[in-house]
Amino acid sequence: MTATEVLDRTEASTDRRVPSARQGRDRRKPLRPSSIIALVILAVLAALWLMPFAWAIVTSLKSEADAGATPVTWIPAGGFTLDAYTSVLSEGNIPQWAFNSVFTSAVITAIAVAISALAAYAFSRIDFAGKRVLFYVTIASIIVPPQMLIVPLFYQMLAFDMVDTYAGIILPQLIHPAIVFILKQFFDQVPIELEEAARVDGASRMRVFLQIVLPLSRPILAAVSIFIFVGAWNNFLWPFIVTNDASLMTLPVGLQTVQSAFGVQYAQDMASAVLAALPLIIVFLFFQRQIIKGFATTGFGGQ
Amino acid sequence: MKHTNPAFEKSTAGLSRRTILTGGAALLGGVLLPSTLSGCSAIAAGGVEQLKFWHLLSGGDGIKMNALVQQANEEFPDEFHATQTVLTWGTPYYTKLAMASVGGRAPEVAIMHATRVAGYAPGGLLDEWDLDILAEEGVTEETFLPRVWDKGVIDGSLYSIALDTHPFIMMFNTEHAEAAGLLDADGRLPVMTSPDQFREVALAMQAVTGVHGLSYGFLNDGAQMWRLFYTLYAQHGAEMTLEVGKEVEFDMDAAVESLEFIQSLLDGTIAAQTGDYGTAVSEFVSGNSGLFFTGVWELPTMVNGNLPVDAQVIPTLYGTPATYADSHSFVLPHQNNPDEAKRRDVYRFVANILKNSISWAEAGHIPAYQPIVDSPAYSRLVPQIHYAEAAQQVVFDPEAWFSGSGSDFQAYFAENVQNVFLGREDPRSGMEGFIRRLNILLNRPNPLESA
Amino acid sequence: MTTTPQLNRAQGVGPNALTRRDGRVPNSARRRDTLHGWGFAAPFVIAFLLFLVWPIIYGFYLSLTGQSITGANSEVIGFANYAEAFADGDVWRSLGNTLWFTLLSTVPLVLVALILALLVNLGLPGQWLWRLAFFAPFLLASTVVSLFWIWMYNPQLGLINSVLGGSTAWLTDSNTAMISVVITTVWWTVGFNFLLYLAALQNIPEQQYEAASLDGAGKWRQLFSITIPQLAPTTIVIVILQVLASLKVFDQIYIMTGGGPGGATRPIVQYIYETGFTAYRLGYASAVAYVFFAIIVIASMVQVLVTSRRGAK
Repeated sequence: MTATEVLDRTEASTDRRVPSARQGRDRRKPLRPSSIIALVILAVLAALWLMPFAWAIVTSLKSEADAGATPVTWIPAGGFTLDAYTSVLSEGNIPQWAFNSVFTSAVITAIAVAISALAAYAFSRIDFAGKRVLFYVTIASIIVPPQMLIVPLFYQMLAFDMVDTYAGIILPQLIHPAIVFILKQFFDQVPIELEEAARVDGASRMRVFLQIVLPLSRPILAAVSIFIFVGAWNNFLWPFIVTNDASLMTLPVGLQTVQSAFGVQYAQDMASAVLAALPLIIVFLFFQRQIIKGFATTGFGGQ
Repeated sequence: MKHTNPAFEKSTAGLSRRTILTGGAALLGGVLLPSTLSGCSAIAAGGVEQLKFWHLLSGGDGIKMNALVQQANEEFPDEFHATQTVLTWGTPYYTKLAMASVGGRAPEVAIMHATRVAGYAPGGLLDEWDLDILAEEGVTEETFLPRVWDKGVIDGSLYSIALDTHPFIMMFNTEHAEAAGLLDADGRLPVMTSPDQFREVALAMQAVTGVHGLSYGFLNDGAQMWRLFYTLYAQHGAEMTLEVGKEVEFDMDAAVESLEFIQSLLDGTIAAQTGDYGTAVSEFVSGNSGLFFTGVWELPTMVNGNLPVDAQVIPTLYGTPATYADSHSFVLPHQNNPDEAKRRDVYRFVANILKNSISWAEAGHIPAYQPIVDSPAYSRLVPQIHYAEAAQQVVFDPEAWFSGSGSDFQAYFAENVQNVFLGREDPRSGMEGFIRRLNILLNRPNPLESA
Repeated sequence: MTTTPQLNRAQGVGPNALTRRDGRVPNSARRRDTLHGWGFAAPFVIAFLLFLVWPIIYGFYLSLTGQSITGANSEVIGFANYAEAFADGDVWRSLGNTLWFTLLSTVPLVLVALILALLVNLGLPGQWLWRLAFFAPFLLASTVVSLFWIWMYNPQLGLINSVLGGSTAWLTDSNTAMISVVITTVWWTVGFNFLLYLAALQNIPEQQYEAASLDGAGKWRQLFSITIPQLAPTTIVIVILQVLASLKVFDQIYIMTGGGPGGATRPIVQYIYETGFTAYRLGYASAVAYVFFAIIVIASMVQVLVTSRRGAK
């Protein structure tokens, strides 16, 4: 399946208004007994899946005493409170880590999408010496697991004096050969007549790229941007290796590495985790279809 | 020109969403940025140096250390402001500290266990302390016990300054001891000089509690296993030498005898046959045992639990007084371009904490700074004063680049000897397995020093 | 327009003001194309060479030395590290843990995803809720997932023990540690496979079901004779992607169990990390990393073989 085909099919499955080829039933008829059973099963499964969220949120709204009290209850004896959140936001490093995550993820996304699109356009539209070799090497590199590069990359960051810097976090995360491949596939499908006409009129390749091809590629660019942004935001291993200074850590790394001087505080731990989960969940609630499309499309390019 | 591919019809919707996404991210950053900057601006004025201080202390220790740091900051408001970063105790902390030092942007000052310094200093991961500047701040060799000061000296240079020694001792429940008729006029337990005498006392305690006489947690805990073993081993007068390129030098008989003694204690009557650290703490706190082998750092737990408790060093059962201990020490992680002003402030910071370390003693530790130990305030601290002698007889881990608190060394001990503790393996073969593992490591080049 | 542009597009040759009618391009245009091509690709190629190609090459060189993180011992020692790795019990144990994790997690990650997709595909009301519930966890960072589940598994205060009773130490007992991490992983990542299955289910033509209904086949019969066979290609893709992802596991195991107890759950990536950064031996860690890389390459080759054979059918 090409990227566009996956795009269309996921769109169909997520778009409630499009009549889709499903084992459907007419909505106006009442539910059959078997459907009710299926609905119950789904509800139970969904409840199970939402349970860890719910449990974490409820814990974060308790006082520390209630959070550590037995027997375990959903409703705390002392009532709900936002103390854990105020403590975590005022005393800890979470705002700093959140900023680091936003900053590095945004920079990574912007640069990675830009350089991947440029390269993909070259692969798609320009015949240049060595292109075949370069393309196959790029595709082959999709196999390389980033986990095996942590040692030489760290060594390299030592040599460049980039350990504990933003550059150290950002630079190795700019390379997405799978994204180059996906974008190239997409560009291949763009009708070439538009570009040909512009070039005949004397437009440079860069102008054609920027003013014709890119605007037509908004859906795929949005999809890959989301994919890269979420991946960069959630990335643990590399930022964990390259940052030791607590003020440079991204949110996932900071949460795991830095301990409270006061020992285990369950409500605050859960408050921190919920805060870390919040941005992407909110984004998901608003941009559900966009995100699902993004993942279904780029997912085929490899993980 | 009209294009007919329906995929491109969605372009406007995609763009506006992407704009919102990026805009939202910028907004989020904008909201959070002021809160991160405000902290800096309040302090950056007036040349106040920001000192980054790493340590691995949490719980009661963490609270006390936090108070000490705040006190230092308050006494030097115009010179420096120290912020703490606490990492998980053990391997995660030491790995990150090494990586930070290698990366050249390490924190200005950190705490390490003295037994781990040998795994850092030779590799250039630490910078040495300047004795003259230390003397200006009132910190000299004379203000420490020789054993403790020497532990920080590697190849003639001072790399770590001890804040405390924290030995592995024996606590006892004074009420149970009273009920068992064990206490003398001073409220102390009888002097025990042999394994049998110890067993008698423990059994007497067990008769009173009806559960166990002694609490000792060790399951899956190499540090706990090693602490007790090494105390008993060193009481034989035995030593262990680890040298790269050679095999381990040690006393097998002393080791076997120590392990057999431990096995005899874990019989289900004197002590539970199995149990981890937390379970042992709970057992002693709830009064289900009379004796407790533990580190001094658990003292606040007892005090908070309102337990009638006293403490002493683990009795000398094999002739030579010895107590396993480690020491929290201040080190200077290596920096490629150290800021001289910050470095100077680090000396002030460390000296200030040492001089205020009476509060650290309240957490159970024995302060390393002798003026504090000799002070009247310290002599009033009970039961701390009852085990202060431990500092005179401490034995530290055998020195190697891979040994020390929370190290692989202690993990190997657990791997090979836990089954001995659980009575499933013969002490000699367990010990042999441990020594074999060490010899494999010693056979490799020292990663800190070029061959 | 002639048919040449179609050909050009397939070959990736762009339109060119100088393209002759027979499709050939003069040399000066070729040189300019080469310049442009590399110009466009340059930023990517530079980053690619610097941070992907170079580390791969240098990593191999490191594996031939006894390099320490402090800079000591940098002489070449040949393949001694590889010999040591093959004899190292911890390497085998870590690989074993990784394979065990892969096996334990791949099966539910496929089956559960399929069941969820089948249920959701029935078109019952509440579509947004099902999609949210099952896919949202996939967007979380590994740290957040691990923190949520460490709390769930807490022996005294966690939800799981309060519901099931008992005080099992899920993450520190060697009998339950791995399965606990697997359950967490399934909760976390099933949403992705669920999506792929959902998309594939949409692809099955309605007519097949209608024809089967007319022939008298019931819903279950239709499921097994139409739906599941039609999902075979997707299933294969999912299994392969899942296996490859599981072999690279690190985050959640490291955060939840630290590889313990006593290395019982430690995956190979964590062993690479510990050898290189905790034990200082960058050279040896690189060798183990290359052994790991070899395994991934083999698994990827299998993927290519399987998918291309299916494609050829």
